Amino acid sequence: MKQRKNKHGFRKPFVMKKQKQPQEQPTVDPVTGKKIPKSFVFSRGKIPGSLKQLQMDLRKLMLPYTALSLREKKRNNLRDFLNVAGPLGVTHFFILSKTATSPYLRVATTPQGPTLTFKIHDYSLAADIARSQLHPRCPKDLFKNSALIVLSGFVSGELPLRLTTNMFQNIFPTIDVKTVKLSTCQRILLLNYNKETKLIDFRHYSIRLQPIGVSRRLRKLVQSHQVPDLRNLQDISDFVTKAGYGSESEADEEAATVTLSSDIGRVNRASTKSAVKLQEVGPRMTLQLVKIEKGLCSGEVLFSEYGKTGGKEESDDEMQGEEDAEGDKEEDSEDEDQDEELD
Amino acid sequence: MAEEMAMVESGRARRKFVKTQGRKKSSKKAKVRPSPHEQKKVKIDQKMKKLFRKRAREYNSDDEEDEATVTAASETRRLASVTNKRIEEDDIESEDQSGDEGAAGPLKKSNKNATDVNNHSSDDEGEDENEIQPGITKFTEGCRAFKMAFRNVMKKSIPDDMLGPILSAHKKLVIEKLGEEEAERKIKGEAKKEKQTLAEKGHVKPATYLDSHEKFLISVATKGVVKLFNAVNKAQTAQKGLNPSRTKEAKEIRKRTKQAFFSELGKPSLPSIGATTKVNEGTGKVDDQQPAWAPLRDNYMLTSSKLKDWDKMPDKNVSDDMGRTSEDSSSDED
Repeated sequence: MKQRKNKHGFRKPFVMKKQKQPQEQPTVDPVTGKKIPKSFVFSRGKIPGSLKQLQMDLRKLMLPYTALSLREKKRNNLRDFLNVAGPLGVTHFFILSKTATSPYLRVATTPQGPTLTFKIHDYSLAADIARSQLHPRCPKDLFKNSALIVLSGFVSGELPLRLTTNMFQNIFPTIDVKTVKLSTCQRILLLNYNKETKLIDFRHYSIRLQPIGVSRRLRKLVQSHQVPDLRNLQDISDFVTKAGYGSESEADEEAATVTLSSDIGRVNRASTKSAVKLQEVGPRMTLQLVKIEKGLCSGEVLFSEYGKTGGKEESDDEMQGEEDAEGDKEEDSEDEDQDEELD
Repeated sequence: MAEEMAMVESGRARRKFVKTQGRKKSSKKAKVRPSPHEQKKVKIDQKMKKLFRKRAREYNSDDEEDEATVTAASETRRLASVTNKRIEEDDIESEDQSGDEGAAGPLKKSNKNATDVNNHSSDDEGEDENEIQPGITKFTEGCRAFKMAFRNVMKKSIPDDMLGPILSAHKKLVIEKLGEEEAERKIKGEAKKEKQTLAEKGHVKPATYLDSHEKFLISVATKGVVKLFNAVNKAQTAQKGLNPSRTKEAKEIRKRTKQAFFSELGKPSLPSIGATTKVNEGTGKVDDQQPAWAPLRDNYMLTSSKLKDWDKMPDKNVSDDMGRTSEDSSSDED
């Protein structure tokens, strides 16, 4: 551009393209009047490609109230994210990091904390799961609405479990039972706590409703507008009456049926019975709660898997990677900042 | 052999000598020369060696290396032939001198022998030297030398290996180099593999079937979804038949939610509205004592937003106000 200016003595007029302003997301739920939680998913330190993919999957999971194409730079520290989080109304951070032993996921509420640190024992990406399925399902509007969350097994009244429950209950907008449209409930996040192993299974499913008592043929006919193959039939009534393949999953459907109060799509009409079917979309993780800190990645350690420490300093050796040492520095500076604000 | 050849040649050489006898003194000096000449030769040789070494380093390809060595061989050959000639000349001179001065003969001869030995030692291929015909021009000699060298190279039987035709001197080097490369690659590969495994730690490719644990998780999630949907159903059937898209019914729904809201708060919803109306009624009564003209009243513009009716009768105005305020309050709470 500069060169051109020198050559011809004038600058080509630069027309600012008016970008279509995306509709601003509300910070407050219009129905319930509660604050909508928003999240950032990012990583600290250098992470391998598969973890980057996992980060992307997590962002998709957190849609629509998340920064899908959040760009982070090497020099960005936690405080940068925190500074942006305030004006944008971001309430939760998901921070992925990696040490020599294993990857870690930190879930924190901003700006005050607490921070839960999970060790990711194993994980599968959404792509892996789609590859493992015969017919992966991804409707267009799957990610248009936020997911529901189901927590199971978090019953005991211990502090770490209670905190975890609290944290995860608030990462998605609350739904109002009276006004919610069932068509917006498209996917569900399941966190299942296993008491024996102390591991949390993190699963992400898409919800599909199917009418019961309708033969598969008819259902397919209604769902897809294609003309059915009638060559082998004597009469048109055969198409309806002939049983077709018996669905082997019919037996256990009893428990998984709901009566709908309103129509969902063209197939599931109101006041008919529908079966709830879940299909995994991923990502899939097995988490272990390792540590809880009072502040945002800093502050008093409320709980530590590897030995109790009353003091501020953490004692678990596994978290003492280089990257974390750096993180600690940041955190210290953050602490100071917060102190100043308090003063 | 060389000596004999020199003797044979001597006849012709003598003729030459007779013609050039005047230069005998200088040629005597030339006899002493061989050492500086040898030095010079050595110098060139070193230079060439350096050059060839450099070339060898530069060229990694086998062919080029071969070429370099061949040229080197031919070069040395040529040099050798030149020196040979010189020495022959010297021999002739010494022969003459021996003829002149017999006493000095044996010494000279021994000297010549020494130079011959020198000659042999300096040359790599003595046999070739012997075959060189006298009186052959330099160019052809070089040609022949090259031919010999080339034949020598070609004669060498090439052993089986995969390294290809490599001179034996270089073979070890090349093998070493290749071995090193191989080892390096191996180390690199291992490091890469290690890094890869480290990066992929925890990454699990799911099985294509649903194992019992996954089925259990799905059932748990399904239960949750069913519970929620049933709850939604229960809550929404109560207000069924009211379509929220229609404004009238939407209002009704809102009213219901409002009532629910107030009941949750523990405040009765209606009394508040009643209070506002009461206040309005109170003001209406006070109106009788206050100025009839609305703008003179204290609460002018506070209660009424309509200015076009400012000159109307006060009673009507008050009633109008009341209607509006009650409406406002109700719409506010909506």
